Amino acid sequence: MPVAASAIYFLNLRGDVLINRLYRDDVGGNMVDAFRMHIMQTKELGTCPVRQIGGCSFFYMRISNVYIVIVVSSNANVACAFKFVVEAVALFKSYFGGAFDEDAIRNNFVLIYELLDEIMDFGYPQNLSPEILKLYITQEGVRSPFSSKPSDKPVPNATLQVTGAVGWRREGLVYKKNEVFLDIVESVNLLMSSKGSVLRCDVTGKILMKCFLSGMPDLKLGLNDKIGLEKESQLKSRPAKSGKTIELDDVTFHQCVNLTRFNSEKTVSFVPPDGEFELMKYRITEGVNLPFRVLPTIKELGRTRMEVNVKVKSVFGAKMFALGVVIKIPVPKQTAKTSFQVTSGRAKYQASIDCLVWKIRKFPGQTEPTLSAEVELISTIAEKKSWTRPPIQMEFQVPMFTASGLRVRFLKVWEKSGYNTVEWVRYITKAGSYEIRC
Amino acid sequence: MAPPAQSQRSQSPSQPSGKSEVSDLKLQLRQLAGSRAPGVDDSKRELFKKVISYMTIGIDVSSLFGEMVMCSATSDIVLKKMCYLYVGNYAKVNPDLALLTINFLQRDCHDEDPMIRGLALRSLCSLRVANLVEYLVGPLGSGLKDSNSYVRTVAVVGVLKLYHISASTCVDADFPSTLKHLMLNDPDTQIVANCLSALEEIWSAEASTSEEAAREREALISKPFIYYLLNRIKEFSEWAQCLVLELVTKYVPSDSSEIFDIMNLLEDRLQHANGAVVLATVKVFLQLTLSMTDVHQQVYERIKAPLLTLVSSGSPEQSYAVLSHLHLLVLRAPYVFSSDYKHFYCQYNEPSYVKRLKLEMLTAVANESNTYEIVTELCEYAANVDIPIARESIRAVGKIALQQYDVNAIVDRLLQFLEMEKDYVTAEALVLVKDLLRKYPQWSHDCIAVVGNISSKNVQEPKAKAALIWMLGEYSQDMQDAPYILESLVENWDEEHSAEVRLHLLTAVMKCFFKRPPETQSALGAALAAGIGDFHQDVHDRALFYYRILRYNVSVAEQVVNPPKQAVSVFADTQSSEIKDRIFDEFNSLSVLYQKPSYMFTDKEHRGPLEFADELGNLSIGEAAHNVISSQRVEENDKDLLLTTAEKEETRGSSNNGSVYAVPYDSSTSVFASQTQIESAISNPTTAGHSQHASFGIDDLLGLGMPAVPDVASPPQLKLNTKAALDPNAFQQKWRQLPVALSQELSLSPQGVASLTVPQALLRHMQSHSIHCIASGGQSPNFKFFFFAQKYEEPSNYLVECIINTTSAKAQVKIKADDQSTSQAFSSLFELALSKFGTP
Repeated sequence: MPVAASAIYFLNLRGDVLINRLYRDDVGGNMVDAFRMHIMQTKELGTCPVRQIGGCSFFYMRISNVYIVIVVSSNANVACAFKFVVEAVALFKSYFGGAFDEDAIRNNFVLIYELLDEIMDFGYPQNLSPEILKLYITQEGVRSPFSSKPSDKPVPNATLQVTGAVGWRREGLVYKKNEVFLDIVESVNLLMSSKGSVLRCDVTGKILMKCFLSGMPDLKLGLNDKIGLEKESQLKSRPAKSGKTIELDDVTFHQCVNLTRFNSEKTVSFVPPDGEFELMKYRITEGVNLPFRVLPTIKELGRTRMEVNVKVKSVFGAKMFALGVVIKIPVPKQTAKTSFQVTSGRAKYQASIDCLVWKIRKFPGQTEPTLSAEVELISTIAEKKSWTRPPIQMEFQVPMFTASGLRVRFLKVWEKSGYNTVEWVRYITKAGSYEIRC
Repeated sequence: MAPPAQSQRSQSPSQPSGKSEVSDLKLQLRQLAGSRAPGVDDSKRELFKKVISYMTIGIDVSSLFGEMVMCSATSDIVLKKMCYLYVGNYAKVNPDLALLTINFLQRDCHDEDPMIRGLALRSLCSLRVANLVEYLVGPLGSGLKDSNSYVRTVAVVGVLKLYHISASTCVDADFPSTLKHLMLNDPDTQIVANCLSALEEIWSAEASTSEEAAREREALISKPFIYYLLNRIKEFSEWAQCLVLELVTKYVPSDSSEIFDIMNLLEDRLQHANGAVVLATVKVFLQLTLSMTDVHQQVYERIKAPLLTLVSSGSPEQSYAVLSHLHLLVLRAPYVFSSDYKHFYCQYNEPSYVKRLKLEMLTAVANESNTYEIVTELCEYAANVDIPIARESIRAVGKIALQQYDVNAIVDRLLQFLEMEKDYVTAEALVLVKDLLRKYPQWSHDCIAVVGNISSKNVQEPKAKAALIWMLGEYSQDMQDAPYILESLVENWDEEHSAEVRLHLLTAVMKCFFKRPPETQSALGAALAAGIGDFHQDVHDRALFYYRILRYNVSVAEQVVNPPKQAVSVFADTQSSEIKDRIFDEFNSLSVLYQKPSYMFTDKEHRGPLEFADELGNLSIGEAAHNVISSQRVEENDKDLLLTTAEKEETRGSSNNGSVYAVPYDSSTSVFASQTQIESAISNPTTAGHSQHASFGIDDLLGLGMPAVPDVASPPQLKLNTKAALDPNAFQQKWRQLPVALSQELSLSPQGVASLTVPQALLRHMQSHSIHCIASGGQSPNFKFFFFAQKYEEPSNYLVECIINTTSAKAQVKIKADDQSTSQAFSSLFELALSKFGTP
């Protein structure tokens, strides 16, 4: 059995119950006390997300300032349980518009009870698709993006749609203007050694779509990935066009994508759900274009002084620019005074995180600003511990740039009524975990 | 709408307040109950919301039951839902009041709106009051036949709920067969899935008493039914797919073409966005191909990329769950992920539970090609991250060192750790150096030089201190100060709180005594006196035992404390392979995370004290199986040290509450082992006779008044040094210089030929005869080995080239020796050792 959860609890950081739902009688009502006693009030918190207390296992996740705890009494499927929590939170967010925190839960608790009843019955996950749930849920989120009114009577054949071939899309949608928005969002993960060699580097990307299309459209997406292009040239029996091709390590798709066709023809074809969804996710480890190079030199001069020089080089096209660049350079705890010189942006010392934070709002390509700082330390005699030098961390967003080089070659929309559609494609690369050891 | 949050913030469940609010609400509800004024529903909604918010924070609002039920006579679905929620919560504790609700719930079950029908039915089944079950049967029966799929979905789960309240009512109403009919015929896949989970539960519970139920449960994994589900797999929701896939793992296909059909059908599931579906598919693939070794290996290659994606995407909790599974897989097939080791590098901000698993992955995937990079990375963590992870990473380096043949560079790294002068780093490194020396005694020279510089005062942790003391005892001949350090430790006997350390101290002083008697004599006397007076039973017993055996016979004592030791080739595995297989069978469940089969944590009788005994049994089996060669020869005080690798596992195991690995440290086991060994030593005078050389008037030194042991003439047979060491360059040089002393053809026993599938098998065997291998190679049927051996207590080497052809069962042997005169004797020894190969 995938989950058969006995109970689900929402707790705040103090351990007060915000929401509880007991699905089965096989765990006592005091389970939440057990969780508070043995996990929340001990050092165990955060050391492992799965714990066994008594005969029960607790799976817990912290999401902003809320703990979501699932209690099971049998040998449950953990991956499924965590995925369920993640999906459920995404669903709640879509109802109350963005934030998922203690206040949002308090403001929407009746809605959450309603949702919990529908998405899980007697511990078995049921339907979590927002499209279908809309038909059953009477409460409106405090900031609901959906238009359905509490008084809306369900469409008579509503439930039949659960069974239909296209469970994720309602029939009879009409838009005046048919538009498709496609975003390729990549996050680059980098781990660079202090000697400047790349220890680990990969890109996890996702393609997000927003569809405002009438009827039951059929979409086809072509990318410059290697397998797809090879297959195409095979089918058309002509050599592949020259140009960069990308090798995707692994791809996963939204349930709307016809996987059989992907496996045979290597094209991504699908009937999209209405509104916003994640079409696919992919992972790339080879041939990643790093947008930034960071060259740090940190010198400890005696016991009370440090010299920090950091040069950041942007290696993308000169016409492009990165936004919201933040470079966090760690300094020892006992930092007393800092002075900086930067060639671009602003820097300051943030004592709460023991870092020099250098922010550059707009960072053009092919430039290399530098920061040089002098750090004075309080001399401590008692503490002999040497400083462990955490890595430099970086945040950024580079619009119109993909670290993997992935490009959309075409996006075709077919619908039997033959309307015209407007397609918008955007690219953006963000920093995932971008760490440079120093 | 007025957010109730503000009013509740100040209230906590423990506060007795809320009484006045509840009676206030009661009054207001009563006023509204009969009212038909416009807008009354809105005010009711607000009130109901308040009631439910009180309920949530733990204020008892059950006294409102009557009023709530009165107010729920409405067509407003929002109100109804809230009322159902309230009723479901309090019906169980107020069975009498619950009766009040039956009426309106039953009426709602016939409402024209399918949604109300479904909701009412769900609430009715959620009342969980045993004496109301008779009211459930009717509505459930009609619910199962309802034209609306939503109502049917609810009704199916309702049947399961009824079964849990009253199994007999459910079975008597013949609901299981109705569900079976629905499962096979309903067009809605959600209903099929719910039927499946309900029937699995019901029939599994009934199977013990009813043969029919057992048959039905078997039928769930019959070919037609599995195919029926598989053909519709794409229509199922992602959660239901997990359910179906789990069922498919239990199915046994009739032939390989069927297996391939199923795998082809399910291959695209590996690209599903839901990680749970991917894992469930992985399980199907692994289970189906268990009997087909080649395909099983291909499956590992196929599932690699999707699993790595799951690790890097999703929340840390999800990657934790996936990493646990990867860890299980990597233990079965280490090579699969060996080129992807970079995926397991830790990120600075990752939670420690993910880091810990990644460290284990790095340890498990290390092989000849990537060790250097992995160890370099691990050394970064030792200096850079939080202390528990730093410790783990040092242990990881040690574990890799124990796995590898080429440990040169790793030993250097470990020795650097010792010089880092951080307490915890030193402590961990000491324990590792000790384990390393037990496996590779040839490194003792380098290590001892560094260890000798560590002041015992800087080492506080018991494990590390014990390791240091062990080294002091074992290598006291090479460490100038050993007797004096031990002596000062003995002086501080009373300040030493750990019994483990005191036990080791006793043994170390004994060992040191036999190597450097004059310097250790006084320390030994003091240690024995302190030990006999010790309040800890084991320490007391061991001290007394040493004292008595010294009195009985000094050479026997030395035989016990300082026997010729053989390097530990394989450290005891903590889990038997049977347990590992069971965990593998339960892939994609909690078992993998807890690293124990489910019966150990779900069955009541296996938790608690019994778990202890159970594990003890398992452990002794596991140890015997994995450690046959070494365990016989490992001397008694190594017995507890032997388990230190297991103990590292324990730190992780301990977070699971039931510390599976804790058993062997019970020092009583080691004491027990020591006694049996003594018996064998005493009852076997020939072995005791070999160590006569140490009997120099110990009675005088200790004043124990023992008779001196008569000198026995040295045995005619050639004795080999069990701890012989020779580095490959020296071997090559010697091989070139020396002439061939003997060249002959030996034949192998048929059992020997059968056991020689890989070169390693013979290596281990010859090592147990004190003949060590320096290089080996080849594939069946032709193998080539270079062996060497050393004469006991003399730097005289024997080098052997041995070419074995398993088809002819012949071995071509060339022997070269430093001392030509004994080469004949060595040759016969070698022949004897080889002839025993393959015989148990």
